[in-house]
Amino acid sequence: MDNKETNEERIPYLEAKGITHDYNRNIRALEKVDFKAYTNEIVGLIGDNGAGKSTLVKIISGVINPTYGEIYVKGEKANFKSSKDAMNKGIETIAQDMNLIETMDIMRNIYCGREECGNFGLLKLNEMRKHAMKILEEKVTIEGIRSPKQIVANLSGGQKQSVAIARAMFFKKKMLLLDEPTSALSVRETHAFLNHLLELKKQGMSLVLVTHNIFHAYKVADRFAVLRHGKKIADVKKEDTTIDDLTELIVGSKLSLDA
Amino acid sequence: MYNKLKEYFAKITDNKSGNIVILFVVLQLALIIISLLYPDKFRYVSQANMRVLFRAIPTLGIIALGVNLLMISGEFDLSVGSNFAFSALILAILFNSGVPVFVSIIVALIVGSIIGAINGVITVKSQVPSFIITLGSMMFWRGMVILVSQGQAESFRAPDFYRNIFISSFGVIQMQFVWFIIVAIVTWLILERHKFGNYTFASGGDKKTAKALGININLVKIINYSIVGFLTAFAAIISTMRVQQVSPQQGEGLELQAIAACVIGGTALMGGKGSVMAAVLGASLLFTIEDVLILLRAPGFYLQLFIGLLIIVAAVINQKLSKE
Repeated sequence: MDNKETNEERIPYLEAKGITHDYNRNIRALEKVDFKAYTNEIVGLIGDNGAGKSTLVKIISGVINPTYGEIYVKGEKANFKSSKDAMNKGIETIAQDMNLIETMDIMRNIYCGREECGNFGLLKLNEMRKHAMKILEEKVTIEGIRSPKQIVANLSGGQKQSVAIARAMFFKKKMLLLDEPTSALSVRETHAFLNHLLELKKQGMSLVLVTHNIFHAYKVADRFAVLRHGKKIADVKKEDTTIDDLTELIVGSKLSLDA
Repeated sequence: MYNKLKEYFAKITDNKSGNIVILFVVLQLALIIISLLYPDKFRYVSQANMRVLFRAIPTLGIIALGVNLLMISGEFDLSVGSNFAFSALILAILFNSGVPVFVSIIVALIVGSIIGAINGVITVKSQVPSFIITLGSMMFWRGMVILVSQGQAESFRAPDFYRNIFISSFGVIQMQFVWFIIVAIVTWLILERHKFGNYTFASGGDKKTAKALGININLVKIINYSIVGFLTAFAAIISTMRVQQVSPQQGEGLELQAIAACVIGGTALMGGKGSVMAAVLGASLLFTIEDVLILLRAPGFYLQLFIGLLIIVAAVINQKLSKE
């Protein structure tokens, strides 16, 4: 650590330092972005379309490697070569498409890529089914889900989201990166979802809510990191800002409604 | 009683291969009843006819079981017909030049698997659709067959011991059908009870997500291509034991028949969906239709006509069902 930490400052669960990323060598998506996320906290990572939010999420979740910059998990330098590396460090992404395979049933989705296996790699189907039932009943109460055998394509947006979160919870992830999580949800589902985030925060998780919907973010986030044109232009606590201030930061100028 | 029956029926239709099972059972019952009513005109239920069916199904069936896995993982292989002829040719040539049968069989299986693996590697590395790559592969290996055989049929007379293992019969049941069942059980274990089956479904269902979940979809596909190649060579060995020779045209059209069998059974052309039952019953259904037409002494073109219709109807119904 090169900068001195005051006592009141905790070590962030995840810290990205000086992240710069170029696509095809000449398109700069991110420039020297610093980003921190703590446990027991919800950070709103906000910005307009094309501000670089998705690129930053992909870097934190190991999907792409940054051109420059470093990532630290619990103060230790991490070298993510793939999303699997990030997952092993407790970081789970719930992307816009929620990382569910529509043609498969709920149970196979929950275990996809980390199956419980016995001899010869054969699946322990009974145990998987039992655990899947337990996850669906305990970790999240999802309305309208009857059995882990239901095909994901037949679920609603909110139900799919719940399955994705239940999966993250079950595998004891410490950090959830939620990329535009409310875009596929109904008003009622959004409300339930935001409440659920507060619950997860209480349980000690680190949550990053990536969205351009500041109204949703403002309801639950403790802190906001604002990206514009690939640069982080603000990092403010909720008590030091307002929705109007944030809007201004995102757009870069005051928006007024001209009659 | 009625409710119980209804519950049971719902259970069958809920199952992903339920529709093909119902269709198959209904068709078989109908054929058996008709055959019992008109035993002289329609000899469906006769030892001779059952023998013909049990002998005919396994070759295509074994290949279809492999093709089925590959299709579920989201790829095709049009080269199985040529691979079928090439691995059979290797078997016959090696054996005729004095190599022990056992070794010849092993080499033929390895050659078949490698042809499959090459298809897989080129397809996943180049990102060119498998349709194009394996179309080229189909022509290349057919050309190789003609080059190596110089257009001549190669005879193959296996020792009795091996004939007993692969093609002997007891009653109506024949060894090749037993092998078909064994392969079906093994592929079922792979698809439904092994984590590799989960990877296969995931790769075909949504490759972007599968990748994000840490699944090496390229490896999954290459392995499935190799399984297709292996099973194609295995079917070729069984078939060659029976017909006792390899002709340069052997296996032409098998690739499309195998795909047809899977589609009729309900495996999705675009990947992600399917069952072992689809390949087993799809292949059986194709031969049942052929058999019935032969029994009715219908001209040969009726077969193509019927199967063509069946493919279209099955594909449309499956599409409809998957949207519900």
